[in-house]
Amino acid sequence: MNFGGLSRLTRFATRTCLLAALLLTCQVSAFASFEDIIRKAAQANGFTPAEETHVPVNPELAAQGKLLFESKHLSLNGNISCQSCHLDEFGSADGIPNAVAIGGEGKGAVRVMSNGGILPRNTLPFWGRGGVGFSVFFWDGKVDFSGKQKISQFGDAFPSDDPLITAVHLPPVEIREMLAEDHIVLSNKKESPEAAENILKAVTARLKQNEPEVVNEIARVQSIGPESVSFFHIATSIASFIRDNFRLKETRFHRFVFKGAKLTDSELHGARLFYGKGKCSNCHSGPYLADSKFHAVPFPQIGFGKNGFGIDYGRYNVTHNPDDLYKFRTPPLLNVEKTAPYGHSGSVATIHEAIVFHFDPLRGIDPTHMRPLDRHEYFKRLAVSAEARILTGFLDDEEVDALVAFLRTLSF
Amino acid sequence: MKRLLLIGNIVVIFLVVSYGTVEYGVPVIATYLWKEDYKNLMFKCDQVMREHYIAKRAVELNPTSETVKNLEATEVGLLDCHEYDKLRKRMLIWGLTEPQLSLIGLEALEEKKYELRRFVETHEIRY
Repeated sequence: MNFGGLSRLTRFATRTCLLAALLLTCQVSAFASFEDIIRKAAQANGFTPAEETHVPVNPELAAQGKLLFESKHLSLNGNISCQSCHLDEFGSADGIPNAVAIGGEGKGAVRVMSNGGILPRNTLPFWGRGGVGFSVFFWDGKVDFSGKQKISQFGDAFPSDDPLITAVHLPPVEIREMLAEDHIVLSNKKESPEAAENILKAVTARLKQNEPEVVNEIARVQSIGPESVSFFHIATSIASFIRDNFRLKETRFHRFVFKGAKLTDSELHGARLFYGKGKCSNCHSGPYLADSKFHAVPFPQIGFGKNGFGIDYGRYNVTHNPDDLYKFRTPPLLNVEKTAPYGHSGSVATIHEAIVFHFDPLRGIDPTHMRPLDRHEYFKRLAVSAEARILTGFLDDEEVDALVAFLRTLSF
Repeated sequence: MKRLLLIGNIVVIFLVVSYGTVEYGVPVIATYLWKEDYKNLMFKCDQVMREHYIAKRAVELNPTSETVKNLEATEVGLLDCHEYDKLRKRMLIWGLTEPQLSLIGLEALEEKKYELRRFVETHEIRY
C-alpha cells in the first residue's frame, strides 16, 4: 500500500475542504471577534454611560442662564456674549484657530477679519463641562479643583467650591476676552482678586440695569431679594445652563460599549487602535475621554502665543514649575469631529492631522520656513514631548483613517 | 465502452486539473491576494511586540498607574500579532510553504531597508 500517495490524497482533500470553508467565511468581519476586548478596555479606562456624568440642575435657573449666556451685557464695556464664541454650528466652539473676542464681529473667517481682540488660544468647546468629575478648566488648567489644593486666579478666595461656577467668573474679567482695555481699565489695571471683584460688581450692576427681568427671576429662583444678587448668582445661573445644555448624550460608541450595538469594521479597527497600540487611552480616558492631566503634544504654534512672540508655555503659566513647560490639558473627545481646528492654538485643521502630530510631528512642519526662534521653540516642545514615553504609537495612514472613523462615533 | 473511457478521461482530467489548481494555482492566488497584507502585518506585529516589551520593562522598573495603563494599551496592541498569525495560518492552508512565507518576510525587511540580521533578531527567542 502506498501511504505517501494516500497521505497526498488526504492532504489534497483536506485542503480543498478548508479552502471551501475559508471561501464561505471570508466575508465575516476580521474585527468582530475583538468587540468584547474593546468593550472591556473602554470600561477599564473609565468610559461610563453618558447619564452617569450628569449633575442635576434647576431648570428654571438654567433657563435664565441661557439668557445670560446670550447677553452682551455680561461684557462690562464691550459688545460680546458667551455665545459669540461658543456657537452650535462649530460644536460649541468658534471654528477658528485663535479666538477673536472683544470687538470681533460675525462668525468663522468673517470674525477673524473683523479686527477684534485676539486671544492666543483656541476656543474650547463646552461638552461635558461641569459634569461629574469634570474639575479642570481651560487649556492650562487655570481653574483646577482636581487636587487637595484648589487652583484658580482667585487664590484662596475662590468664589465657589464648584469649579464650573469659578470658571464662569473669569471671562468677564479677562482683558481682550470680555473686557475692553479702555482708559478706565488701563488706569486700574491690576491682576488681583480685589480688582476682579470690582469688575464683577460693575458687570452685575450693568446686568441689573439692562436685564432686570432675568436678574429678578434669578433672585426668585434662588430665594433672595433682587438687590442681593451678586455675580456669584449670575455665574451659578450660567453654570446651570452650561451643565444642562452641553451635558453628554449617548453616542454610537456608548451604545456599542453598554448596549451591544455594532460598529463598522473601520470604526472597530479604530477603537482597537485607540485602546491598543495607538495608546490614545493613556491620556484620553475616563467618561470624557480626557484624563484632566497635562501633556506636551508638539502641535505647531500659531498666533502671538500666551507668552508672546509665538511662545506658549501652557501649564507652566499656572504652576511656574519648569516640568510643566509646553504642557496643556488633555482635551475631551466627545463631539471632536465638530470642533475643528485643533490644538491649543488651533493650528491643526483636521482630526487626521491632529492624530499624526501626536506620533509623527515632523511630517506636518517645514523647518526651513520657520523663524529661528520658532524653530528653537518647536525643538524644545519636541524634546518635552519625546520625554514622555507613554505617547502615541506609530500608525500608518490607513490606521489613522480608522481612528478618525472611530472618533466620529463619539458624536451626539 | 467508448463512453466509459470518455467519462473516465474526463474524470481523470478533472482530478488532474483540480489537483494542479489546488496544489500550484491556489498558492499563487493566495500570494497575489495577501502578500502585501502579510508584509504589513509582519511589520506591525514586530512594532507592537517591541512596544509591549518596553512597556513591561517600564512597569517592572517603575510601577505607576501611568506605566501600568501604558502596558495594558500595548497588550491590546498585540492583537496585531493575532491578525498576523491568522493570516499566516490562512496562507499556509492555501498552500504556501514556510520557505515561501519567509521569503515574503525577507522582502518586507528589504522594503523597510533593514539589515537581514534584523529579521533574524525579530524571530529568535532572546532576553
